[in-house]
Amino acid sequence: MKIFGPNELLEEVINKDLCIGCGACIHLCPYFRSYKGKTAMLFPCTLEEGRCFAHCPKIEVNLDELSQQYFGRPYEGGPLGNYLSIHTSKAGPKVKKASFQAGGTVSALMCFALAKGHIDAAVLTDKDGILPVPRVITDADDVLQCSSSKYAASPTLSALNQAMTDEYTKIGVVATPCQVLSIAQMRMNPLEKEDFTDPVALVVGLFCTWAIDFRAFAPFISERIDITAITKVDIPPPPSEIMEVFMGDDKIEIPLNEIRELVPDTCSYCIDMTSEFSDLSIGVLEGRPDMNTIIIRTERGQKIVNEAVQEEYIVLEDILEENLEHLMWAGGNKKKRALVKAKEEGLVNAEGDKKSYLRLQSNTVDEITG
Amino acid sequence: MSALLDKNDGVEHLLMGNEAIARGALEAGAKVATGYPGTPSSEIIESLAGVAKDADIYVEWSVNEKLAMEVAAAASFAELRSLCVMKQNGVNVASDFLLHLAGSGTRGGMVLVPCDDPGALSSINEGESRFFARTVEIPLLEPGNFQEAKDMTKWAFELSEELKQLVMLRSVTRLSHASGNITFGSLPANDQKARFKCDGFILDPDEGVVISAPVDYKHNQQHEKLKRAKEIFEDSPFNTYEGPEKPELLIITSSACTLYSREAISILGLKERVGLLKMGTTWPLPPKLLTRYLSRAEKILIVEEVLPFLEENVKIIAAETASEIGIKKFFGKNDGTIPMVGELNPDHVIKAIATILEIEYLPRPEEYTAKTQGLAFFGAPQRELIFCPGCPHRASFWSIHNALELDGRKGFVCGDIGCYTMALLPTGFTTLKTVHSMGSGSGLASGFGKLGQFGLDQPVLAVCGDSTFFHTAMPALINARHHKSDFTLVVLDNSGTAMTGFQPHPGLEVNAMGDNVPDLDIAEICRSIGARVEIRDPFELEETRETLNELMEDNEGLKVLILRQICGLSPEKKAGKKYEMAINEEICLGENCGCNRVCTRIFRCPGLVWDKEKQVTKLDEVICIGCGVCADICPAGAITRKEAV
Repeated sequence: MKIFGPNELLEEVINKDLCIGCGACIHLCPYFRSYKGKTAMLFPCTLEEGRCFAHCPKIEVNLDELSQQYFGRPYEGGPLGNYLSIHTSKAGPKVKKASFQAGGTVSALMCFALAKGHIDAAVLTDKDGILPVPRVITDADDVLQCSSSKYAASPTLSALNQAMTDEYTKIGVVATPCQVLSIAQMRMNPLEKEDFTDPVALVVGLFCTWAIDFRAFAPFISERIDITAITKVDIPPPPSEIMEVFMGDDKIEIPLNEIRELVPDTCSYCIDMTSEFSDLSIGVLEGRPDMNTIIIRTERGQKIVNEAVQEEYIVLEDILEENLEHLMWAGGNKKKRALVKAKEEGLVNAEGDKKSYLRLQSNTVDEITG
Repeated sequence: MSALLDKNDGVEHLLMGNEAIARGALEAGAKVATGYPGTPSSEIIESLAGVAKDADIYVEWSVNEKLAMEVAAAASFAELRSLCVMKQNGVNVASDFLLHLAGSGTRGGMVLVPCDDPGALSSINEGESRFFARTVEIPLLEPGNFQEAKDMTKWAFELSEELKQLVMLRSVTRLSHASGNITFGSLPANDQKARFKCDGFILDPDEGVVISAPVDYKHNQQHEKLKRAKEIFEDSPFNTYEGPEKPELLIITSSACTLYSREAISILGLKERVGLLKMGTTWPLPPKLLTRYLSRAEKILIVEEVLPFLEENVKIIAAETASEIGIKKFFGKNDGTIPMVGELNPDHVIKAIATILEIEYLPRPEEYTAKTQGLAFFGAPQRELIFCPGCPHRASFWSIHNALELDGRKGFVCGDIGCYTMALLPTGFTTLKTVHSMGSGSGLASGFGKLGQFGLDQPVLAVCGDSTFFHTAMPALINARHHKSDFTLVVLDNSGTAMTGFQPHPGLEVNAMGDNVPDLDIAEICRSIGARVEIRDPFELEETRETLNELMEDNEGLKVLILRQICGLSPEKKAGKKYEMAINEEICLGENCGCNRVCTRIFRCPGLVWDKEKQVTKLDEVICIGCGVCADICPAGAITRKEAV
């Protein structure tokens, strides 16, 4: 892992509009702050190596090192990453009905993990209108207030950094693929701090094809409806190509191709659709708005799922072959498209003094892009 | 009782130049004195305000220099003697009224004292007030030492009354702020009554209408007054000559440069070769006197600060009398013998004389110069202009800077004149992007706020102090509101004209003389103009920052944020600390990732000191005023505050 400091982060990520505003560099120091979806550097910092750079998922991400650390082998570039098994799922009878996205598996699992002490704090994303608001939740009853998707990019990892500062030691995080990548880097203690112990007990990754730039989203929505009256935003699973914006019982539908105009360019470099470095990855299930797809990747993820099923927090079912095939196709497609683009821009395995977004074995690059 | 009111004729006192001018006004029996604070002029009004009750005079810090001149002029029209004081650029503010006042003439003796600041020691301009005397055609006097500062002030009132014209008496920093022994004259009995006679024949200077029209008649009258002034100046004791009958070089000078020139001649031992003509009456120059001295020498050096005012006027006389006095060789600012920019000193004059007379002279040995330069470079600590410990401006600009960075739309701040001008520098996080005259930040913002239609999408901010708000920011706000300009004004309200020494302003319930007066509420004024107004304590960093972001995002016209926190040097605050601060060295992160010395590297309150050996921040308890703000800056919680008992 190549590590530099805040000036390189500013130069290579923020100034080049590669920052997605994940929050990985927020609350580590007084210099980086997030405001309405954008990360700003308030004052210059002169350090040559910093956690801000080391944890950033948009610069010098060594996929082989990460894969070796978490899965015991170099990065292989499969469409969905490494996993143990894939199922469909939804919230079980133990969980109160809430305004879930799809089957409510994520909220159900976080409720379970908190209630049973698998984690001592849950880093989740609440919302204020359409603005995502990172939260540290410690009471299982408060998890549901953060249910349902936020489509604008969120600095959720700022809450993880806050939870670490507040000395929680078994933190559960619900995160997007870029955030999961950052967490994976952070857990490797890249600055080799002596007093470091891994504070993360559960990483639930979300499926994600892109996020929306809040600063473009807010005026876009304001032109159409009263932003303060919004109660929920949803993108139903394929094949429907719309975003639904609810205001109580009323809703408007916006074609997704209009929404895609609001996606920052940095999402188009992202090779990960399913949060490959998580314990569990969860997303929608094609054609089934009431269900989720769940990818179990690690032993500790498997253990929590097993117990949650046993305690009736979630219900697990087999996934249909055609759904799995489509998921693979979608994951592989995103990966290939993104890597081709990143390579063209010189952001993969850059040589000499040049900083690279991704580093991975060159034959793997060829396999993915071939 | 103040020495200023010492009734003993002939007694000597050590006074500052500005106090000498104040004493001169008292000896002249001036009844009204007005001004707007500005270095190096402020002590004149301050010292008069201090004796106002005992001397039975009226003294005010006016809202701005134009008001100051109008208030003083009213006293003159009512046959009282009045004094009006300002720094050099204040005359620009007053100049429209000044032009018309010069046209209408005065009644009771009226003296305008501008104090120029050569070298801009306490200014952001090197303005020259003397040209106003020539432009508006009024007599100009320049005292050359402390005694003259007093004596010429007194005489200026008599001259003004004789000519029925305003007289300008110009001082400079080194005269205003240095001190010398002054021999006092008598203080007059003071029972003059004010009466404005205005029912006489329209053109009657004593009882008619006071106006600069009919212009051709009044303008002619003005020139008659100048002619009379010239005649008087021919015999003025304030124009002196010292030196040989036929000097090789004649120096013509005025003001503090008289002292530099005399010292230079003395150091060079040239009293037998160089003559010194010191002019106290510099506009209009007395032509006969000038012709007399010019004809004695072939080489003429004119020594003066700021612009070549004296030089130009002398050259005009020399050109007009060339057939009589012959062709002269002139040295001065125009040919570069005297620097065009900056303050002068005896070394400058020595260098000029040595060059002209081809004398080898080094003010100090080369070896010494090299050694001191080396020591200064390697040994002297770097010092820059910085806000005081606990200054509210540091906290205010911290929040303004952060709000702008978080906003991310490349917003900018227009500033103007006050301690907060230093926010151009790292001490204010280089936040200000324009600085011009008083109130101009608001005026510029009013303009920037209209450029949206041409694509300007950056948030526009302005800052002004509480005194500046009343001085000239108010018309800018009215302009902005009326024209629907979109910007946010931050009023840095530290409860006084802090930079110049806590002079009162209309926002306070006390005036220059210590009387209780109505205070005007800045917030209410802004609301009545139609602005959205918020008031915060700048020491509440996060709340201030949030409010600023919210105001910047509100695109609906004029917004005002008043940041209210009294100046750290104010007498009220100096009395005690609000918080006892402490630093836990165990927790301090120092230069590690997570802090990198944010308090001593970026925030840089002088109360916080970086301990290089221990690699932690230490508290300088002597200068810490206990504002408590740094506790909110420290990311590690190493700095703590507790209420002081």
